[in-house]
Amino acid sequence: MTERFTEATGTALIGGTEERASRSLRALSLPVALIGAVLALAPLWLGDSRVQMGVAVIGLTFACYAIGFNLIFGSTGQLFLCVGALAGLGGYGGAILADTVGLPIIVSIVVATLVASLVGGLLSWIAVRRSLGVIFTGIITLIFALAFENLLLGLGGVSGGESGFPISSGADSFLRRQIPPYYVMLGLMLVFLLAHGLLRRSHVGWAFRALRDDEVAAELAGVDVARYRVYAALIGAAMLGMAGATYAFTEGRISPTTFGFAQVDVVVLVMLAFGGIGTLFGPILGAITFTALDEVLIELGQLRVLVYGILVIVLFLWIPRGVIPTLQGLLRRRRAS
Amino acid sequence: MIASVLDGIVLGLQFGLLAAGLTLVYGLGGVLNLAYGQMAVISAMATLFAINAEVPILPAVGIGLAVGVVLGLIFDQTILRPIYRLQGEARVLLSLLLTLGVAFIVDGYLTWRYPTEGLTLRIGGGPIEILGVPMRRGSIVASAITLVALGALFAFFRGTTLGRAVRSVIEDEEGARLVGIDPQRMLRIILALSGLLAALVAVTQSMVRPVTVSAGFGITVFALIVTVVGGLGSVTGAMLAGIILGIVSSIAASSIGTFLSLIILLGAAAVTILIRPSGLLGVRE
Repeated sequence: MTERFTEATGTALIGGTEERASRSLRALSLPVALIGAVLALAPLWLGDSRVQMGVAVIGLTFACYAIGFNLIFGSTGQLFLCVGALAGLGGYGGAILADTVGLPIIVSIVVATLVASLVGGLLSWIAVRRSLGVIFTGIITLIFALAFENLLLGLGGVSGGESGFPISSGADSFLRRQIPPYYVMLGLMLVFLLAHGLLRRSHVGWAFRALRDDEVAAELAGVDVARYRVYAALIGAAMLGMAGATYAFTEGRISPTTFGFAQVDVVVLVMLAFGGIGTLFGPILGAITFTALDEVLIELGQLRVLVYGILVIVLFLWIPRGVIPTLQGLLRRRRAS
Repeated sequence: MIASVLDGIVLGLQFGLLAAGLTLVYGLGGVLNLAYGQMAVISAMATLFAINAEVPILPAVGIGLAVGVVLGLIFDQTILRPIYRLQGEARVLLSLLLTLGVAFIVDGYLTWRYPTEGLTLRIGGGPIEILGVPMRRGSIVASAITLVALGALFAFFRGTTLGRAVRSVIEDEEGARLVGIDPQRMLRIILALSGLLAALVAVTQSMVRPVTVSAGFGITVFALIVTVVGGLGSVTGAMLAGIILGIVSSIAASSIGTFLSLIILLGAAAVTILIRPSGLLGVRE
């Protein structure tokens, strides 16, 4: 474990020796279709229970968050600690546009997504312009997240404050029935997954890998590091905002804790680190594993947090690169011998 | 106006002390300890249990402080071992994630076992008048303790050989090693000191408002923000940043309202970081 770290000077945790991006379209669409097919069957044995379907929708929402965060942090090394805040910008933005302003739901979601995307891009632009490192980007975005949370609590007249915002738009549409929200979120997740996969195969993906592996070398080779960082933040934040807005309309009630730092950012970071930061399928593996684990451990109540603490420590000491890169490493070694 | 400035100084001294323990460990070891607030909470709980067991208040506080020191030493010997093997940004990232795990463990256990406990030290007696403003006795005592602690900290760093050795490691680890200073030993001392400061923060805060079992995360976040504004690794910077942010937030609270004051405080912190990414008194790397 130690030598793996010392060989890389920079962000060794963000899988330095990650799988080569496969060039063929089939290699991308096959696993995506497989994941989609397996997850599409889940309501067959979970569908009877409203509670379990709700949990499954939350799991898919977190998978979407993890993909968006992975694009920003995993692809370009910008530690955005405002995942919940950007999703909340989408969620609250969408809810306010639909309920208070009276726009159609789909328009609200699109506008809210754009707002989240622009704010994410702006944060990234600031960080790039001031050439903030990983930690300082983390602090600035954390400050933004805390300010956003407090604005929600303080501006009770607009946001509903601590008791939350009940969304009346779409209350009698399919979005609030038991099964359809699951497929809406699943569709969103598959679209995000495909978008991320296609992005990795394009020249943008090559630029991401280059600047993450060695920023100076990438800059010298003609990659506009600043521009690609902002691109990643724009796209990732759009995903976060869209997932947050869609989730808000299926849930029907949002509160500051729906998008809180402790409730979203910390969880997404752990999920992504478990699956493998910077990998294509890591976010999904992490989101499914931890959502299932949370259900298994539900009887422990507060003690769950303790179990997660132990898991985080064990995880980062044993497989600091995450499950998927570690498995790939094992496979490659076996094939070589 | 004078009242808000005085309130701000009381708050700022707390902020400064809070950040000092975090900034020292970062400056010396390149370790960001996200379980710092939890160290303070454990010390507060130790003090509380001692008081509940009818230990007189001063020895009870002593027990809390001792627990803080022991926690720092345990940290150095266990969770930080694998972190020490790394360098640079990888070290900061791994320290961040592993101490986050520790923070979860502590938070999860404490909120499960003692969901409603909190430490409050009541300082008896009426308000004291300073510059014509009546101040709560608890705030005055807390500030006095903080000032004494900070004075002792400065005396330690400027006046003693050990303190100078620690500073030399912060400035240039390789150079310090060459003149025979063992950075690993200095780090152990600083972690014990950091635990002591966390415990002291818990004790002084409990004189102003209760320190609950779930307060750890909030303490860490504030310490982190003050630390970054002051400049990572600089105790003087942490003090300065603490007092400035304390005064800003207290003036904002009295003239605009509490909820906006926190946002103004966060905004002030963000602006400082953007204007001076190395912090008020930080050294550019």
